[in-house]
Amino acid sequence: MQEATQTVTNAVQLAAEAAGHAASSGHGITHMMMLLIVQLAVIIIFAKVGGFLFQRFLRMPSVLGELASGMLIGPYALGGAIDLPGMGILFSEHAGFAASTELYGIATLASIILLFLAGLETDLAAFLRYSVVGSMVGLGGLAAAFVLGDLCAVLWPGNGIDSFMDPAALFLGVISVATSVGITARILAEKKKMASPEGVTILAGAVFDDVFGIVTLAIVMGLAKVESSGEGVAWGAIGLIAVKAIGFFVVVTALGLAFARKITGAIKQFRSREMMVATCFGLALLLAGLAEMAGLAMIIGAYIMGLALSRTDLAPEIEHHLQGIYNLLVPIFFCVMGMMVDFSAMKPVLVFGSVYSLLAIIAKVVGCGVPAWLMKFNLRGSLRIGLGMLPRGEVALIVAGIGLASGIIGQGIFGVAIMMTVVTTMLAPPLLVKSFDGGSGLRKEMAGTGEDIVSIDLELPSRDITEFLLNRFVRALQQEEFFVHHLHTDEPTYRVLKDDIAFTLLQEGNKLVINVPKANQHVARMILLEELLSLTDLLDSTKRMKSIGQMGTDLVNGLFA
Amino acid sequence: MNLKKTLTPDTVWVDLRADTKQGVIEEMVDRLVAAGKVRDREAVLASILEREAKMSTGMQNGVAIPHGKTDSVRSLVAAVGINKAGVNFDSLDGSPCTIFIMTISPTQRTGPHIQFLAEVSRLISQPAERDKLLAARTHAEVYEILTGK
Repeated sequence: MQEATQTVTNAVQLAAEAAGHAASSGHGITHMMMLLIVQLAVIIIFAKVGGFLFQRFLRMPSVLGELASGMLIGPYALGGAIDLPGMGILFSEHAGFAASTELYGIATLASIILLFLAGLETDLAAFLRYSVVGSMVGLGGLAAAFVLGDLCAVLWPGNGIDSFMDPAALFLGVISVATSVGITARILAEKKKMASPEGVTILAGAVFDDVFGIVTLAIVMGLAKVESSGEGVAWGAIGLIAVKAIGFFVVVTALGLAFARKITGAIKQFRSREMMVATCFGLALLLAGLAEMAGLAMIIGAYIMGLALSRTDLAPEIEHHLQGIYNLLVPIFFCVMGMMVDFSAMKPVLVFGSVYSLLAIIAKVVGCGVPAWLMKFNLRGSLRIGLGMLPRGEVALIVAGIGLASGIIGQGIFGVAIMMTVVTTMLAPPLLVKSFDGGSGLRKEMAGTGEDIVSIDLELPSRDITEFLLNRFVRALQQEEFFVHHLHTDEPTYRVLKDDIAFTLLQEGNKLVINVPKANQHVARMILLEELLSLTDLLDSTKRMKSIGQMGTDLVNGLFA
Repeated sequence: MNLKKTLTPDTVWVDLRADTKQGVIEEMVDRLVAAGKVRDREAVLASILEREAKMSTGMQNGVAIPHGKTDSVRSLVAAVGINKAGVNFDSLDGSPCTIFIMTISPTQRTGPHIQFLAEVSRLISQPAERDKLLAARTHAEVYEILTGK
């Protein structure tokens, strides 16, 4: 309760400061908003164009382009040099912070949407089903990344960090934890390796990585708050914080999962999709706020709400409706993160950043590779899994942003975090592609149990009809009680799971491709056959339509009378 | 997938007698009616024949999987029949069919319907299993081979 009061007091103070800032600079709130809107205009356009260019021409994830755009237009580069008549400097520092309170508010909202959707898309069923291999690989990578990241800060001379429990060190540990599997998923899909033993292990490991990464962040946020308040931390207190953080996560997630259907059932009484989606989003914001009040981070609350709703039938609806706002706001977040990179503050930490990035690579390759090697993979397979878990992305940036905003890490360390994200994200694709040259990733004695993957290609006359058939196929699979998980890749890609069956389907232009273990090809082929044959029903029904020409004439008849 | 959950001993037959495609389908539906699994014979028959009209379900190596969707059944109905003499079923490889797997499922209900067909097919795609089925003498033997009991 005290903390809650404190949060409210802080918010009031901030608002007062902002108003004061507006008044003291001789401008009213309208002027402030005008500057904000112009800033947003510049950010949206630059972020989107940057993302597009990176994706189109460099074949790199758009998030890197958005970051680069931010660095370019930020207060430490062009933005600080552009003086708009009647408005002042386009982007300037505010008390050592690269974004104004208003702008940072919008970026925070974007990060909440991002994590809410990440939670919604979490495949809890797969998470539980592939728990053994996935948890070993996920936990191995998490522990190695956290410890190496933290130790790197502690052992590096001259940065003023000398304890493992120093909040800045803890943050450097947690920043290097979360894998961004979207990039890996795209490569696995392109190389037709998603249903391979390595592919299944990486994707299952990444789900664990996400969930445990959030729990680790919760613990670190708790620790950092106590540490930065100047109180010494005893191990008993640390244990208490860990229990509190894990307790919050487990209890709220369990309550969420238990009541999600009741809650959505009540929400459905509105009988309007917009109302349902808006209410769920409102609940996500509420839980985000509550998480912050409980001494955790807002994104944790948002993620938990997403996770709780992920098993309800509203999940696809929410995802669909929030996609538009996601596409607009999330690039703003990455661009603002890029803007915060202060090149002059980075110079002294460039060597440190390189070492930290290198350790972040080693941590995942070794941390995920060793458990994989212990399970059933050979060195080649273990390396593939380690490299697949390499890229860091959204969550690392959000965590770094939280650290910077709360003053736990400085501009230099923030730059180091961005550097690590960029390095791992850029290095992963070429290394992963190269690692898939050569033979099986399973050990010789296990190779017999390794699955032969069959690629079923179905070429259709046009892209439209392929997309149509793909959607019908997905629906048929869901009716057959398969879990169909949509992966965010350039081409539509799905991962299909049920019991011990796992395969992937993707659309490549006008081709439908299914990569399926040989032993499971019967089910994929037969369900697809039925959907293909159902197209004949559709053709028959179009024949029963009036002639298209007649319908067209009816539609436009009288328009020019 | 556990085939035992769907197949029952009274829907597995070793002695199909009909010698035409239409005849085999009708015989299996009639036996399902007699076993009390199907009530509306005509609706079920129509749904299976409609599917056959699109493309024959005669596969390779003597296996056929006639199936249909109709709301006259409430849940998945499955049967397996054997005709050792072989029947011309317009199969993919042109060879006569000896093993017939039939399913009838409700049009909209979700459930592992095609997956059931796929699982049985996967079992029968092994030559040794096919030989065992064709060597079986009683309904119970066929049931045992399919369900591993």
